[in-house]
Amino acid sequence: MPIFSNQSVANFLFWLSRKKWLVTAFFISISFFYLPTPEGLSSQGHRTLIIVLTALILIISESIPLPAVAILILIMQVILGVDTADGVASSFMSDAVFFIMGSLMLAVSIVHQGLDKRLALAIVNITGNKTWKIAFGFVAISAIMSSFIGEHTVAAMMLPVALSLIRNAGLDTGKATKLSTLLLFSIAYGCAIGSIGTPSGGGRNVIMIGYLSEFGLGRISYLEWMKYAYPLMLIEIPIAVAILWFTFTPNQKIMDSAVRKLKVSVAKSGKLNNNQIMAIIVFILVFLGWIFLSPIIGLGIVALTGVFFYLSFRLIEWQDITRRTNWGVIILFGAAISLGIQMKQTGAALWVAENVLYSLQFIFQDIEIIRWLFSVVLSGILTNLLSNAATVAVLGPIILDMGGNPIILGMATSISSAFAYLTIVASPTCMIIHSTGLVTSNDYFKAGWKLFLASIFLLFLTSTFYWPLLS
Amino acid sequence: MKILIAISSKEFSVPTLSAGMKIAQSFKAKATIVDVGEKINDFSLKEVSMAQERMDSWDIDRPGVDVLEWAFEYLAQNKMINTSSIDAGFPKNTLIEKGSSRAEVFLEGSASDDVNLILRNGNIIEELRDEVQSEGYDVTIIGASQKRGMAYDLIQYIDSSIFVANNYNPNQSYRILLAVDDSPATKKTVKYGVRVAQAFGIGVDILTISTKEEFGEDYKNAASWAAKLLRRSGIEHKNRFEVGDPSDLIASNAGEDHIIVMGASSSNPLKTLFKSSKPLKVLENCKCPILIVK
Repeated sequence: MPIFSNQSVANFLFWLSRKKWLVTAFFISISFFYLPTPEGLSSQGHRTLIIVLTALILIISESIPLPAVAILILIMQVILGVDTADGVASSFMSDAVFFIMGSLMLAVSIVHQGLDKRLALAIVNITGNKTWKIAFGFVAISAIMSSFIGEHTVAAMMLPVALSLIRNAGLDTGKATKLSTLLLFSIAYGCAIGSIGTPSGGGRNVIMIGYLSEFGLGRISYLEWMKYAYPLMLIEIPIAVAILWFTFTPNQKIMDSAVRKLKVSVAKSGKLNNNQIMAIIVFILVFLGWIFLSPIIGLGIVALTGVFFYLSFRLIEWQDITRRTNWGVIILFGAAISLGIQMKQTGAALWVAENVLYSLQFIFQDIEIIRWLFSVVLSGILTNLLSNAATVAVLGPIILDMGGNPIILGMATSISSAFAYLTIVASPTCMIIHSTGLVTSNDYFKAGWKLFLASIFLLFLTSTFYWPLLS
Repeated sequence: MKILIAISSKEFSVPTLSAGMKIAQSFKAKATIVDVGEKINDFSLKEVSMAQERMDSWDIDRPGVDVLEWAFEYLAQNKMINTSSIDAGFPKNTLIEKGSSRAEVFLEGSASDDVNLILRNGNIIEELRDEVQSEGYDVTIIGASQKRGMAYDLIQYIDSSIFVANNYNPNQSYRILLAVDDSPATKKTVKYGVRVAQAFGIGVDILTISTKEEFGEDYKNAASWAAKLLRRSGIEHKNRFEVGDPSDLIASNAGEDHIIVMGASSSNPLKTLFKSSKPLKVLENCKCPILIVK
């Protein structure tokens, strides 16, 4: 009799085939643990880098759920002696995590109000019936709105508007056409571009502000961030529209009847109700709070105050928030920020920064260019494989330890981590449009590489010629 | 008996659904038709679900619902569901979420037992395996795939018999190629072969292959037992004995006008991982539908 039945061997092989990256991460971390600590790196720094490597493998491969990766990071920090349990716990929760938690809850509360029909009407009233103008409207409104309320919220609200227009144009919403690709990418890329505009555009912006302040490298207020990033965001809008239009030129140059049908269907939903008016007022108060109160009480507390009002006024029920909020992402970002702080404190970030600068000096003589290229290109690439907030959480401390102007490098890193144009997994907005079944992974690359290069070039011009004027 | 039919689109799934429902009818089985959509990553799961809720409020179907609607129309046209269900139309409003990646609609069957329509999201092998394990299906029916490793994953990891509707043409006439040998799975294989032959109303070629010139007693007994069962069931059949490599001979004898019915490998899965197996080789090389009985 064999010790194991064929069924149990098959079950084990299945587990192994799905968890091969977990096993790989385990063996890599064990091997690195027993390797001698490199010169110039502390023992704790060595162990911190093992945790970073393990976490990166597990997040990119998705071989275990994200909350499990987050918990593993915390466990490894304590077990490998990088920090005490209390130390890990205190670095796990910060204003940046409050902000990510609050903004995800705000997103749920705003989407819950069903304001998308109002939004649809506003878009078609502004743009008229020419398809290129509608695409421009989608990019511009997605960008401007997502700069304040976060990209996922806007994408969730804009998606049905685009699909409704596609359906009204007489096309099958289950079949990809150039029109559907154009409109859906207008949302995804518009949201990505917009997310750089203000700190509340994305959790990564707040993570970078948190690092700059925590490491004593500078303070950036909500309005100061806008001064740096908003002009770049506005310039990117027409460029993105042109790239999308020439990549996915649709047959329908005018959408007269589609727009008319949309107006008719939206008109049926009546006027704004009291809840919707209250929801808009609360959000305006939150926005004002971010501008005027965040230097005193923090961006995260302002976001949570907004959630408090939404719940208190019964604009949303707690059950709806708990059901729709991505708690796994919140825990992961908390763990990633905690790891980032450990990288700084153990000297691991500095060690990596020095080695990168030393290695790249053989290619480029100018250290300023090396710093800039490393922060922008690596952030841009990692964000397309990982997640933009996780990218900033891990890369941030390394880049801020490279020397140079920390505000410029920090801003450049945070902004380039929004260039999530190339893959489906790059950001939830990319996944949202992909989930319609109307865009393929090839479509992302077709337009994405052009916008990626254009964005890097624009960022270079802005950070070289405009930002130094503000410093 | 429970049968799981995996479909993907109206363009490519007609043969799979047609073959699947014929088999479900022959077994008077409960049929479940499943469409497995793309995997949503953990970072975006809630956000995508929120966007899809907004789509629902605009009366825009989420991906996959159109595939189930097409399946419903196919069942209605072929009168495989009760008239009351047909008259009521496709009940997309009763698509019930069961877990984060599974939603289902229940219909009352006419020709077979009940019919379920299911939407799932994720990796196809993981989702089918989970569905088979949690609901206990006896046969999983699926179209052929060009994906590398798909044949191995199906045979190795799906814990039910597998019918692959490879090049199946509902308008073509087929015969069953029933591969028998001395393995313990042969009896079950023959019983399944009989039911499939009855479902399609076709004859059976019993194929016994030995790697040696001499056929052992067990081989001969298996062939004669199969012939006896087919005779009793009133199915026209022929007996063939051939010598050579079983995988090559089964695929070449089947050509494009047979439905192969054969037993799953009883070898250790670890050995199969490195050395392949008879059913896997046949599935990779044949140009016709194949049922691998577990």
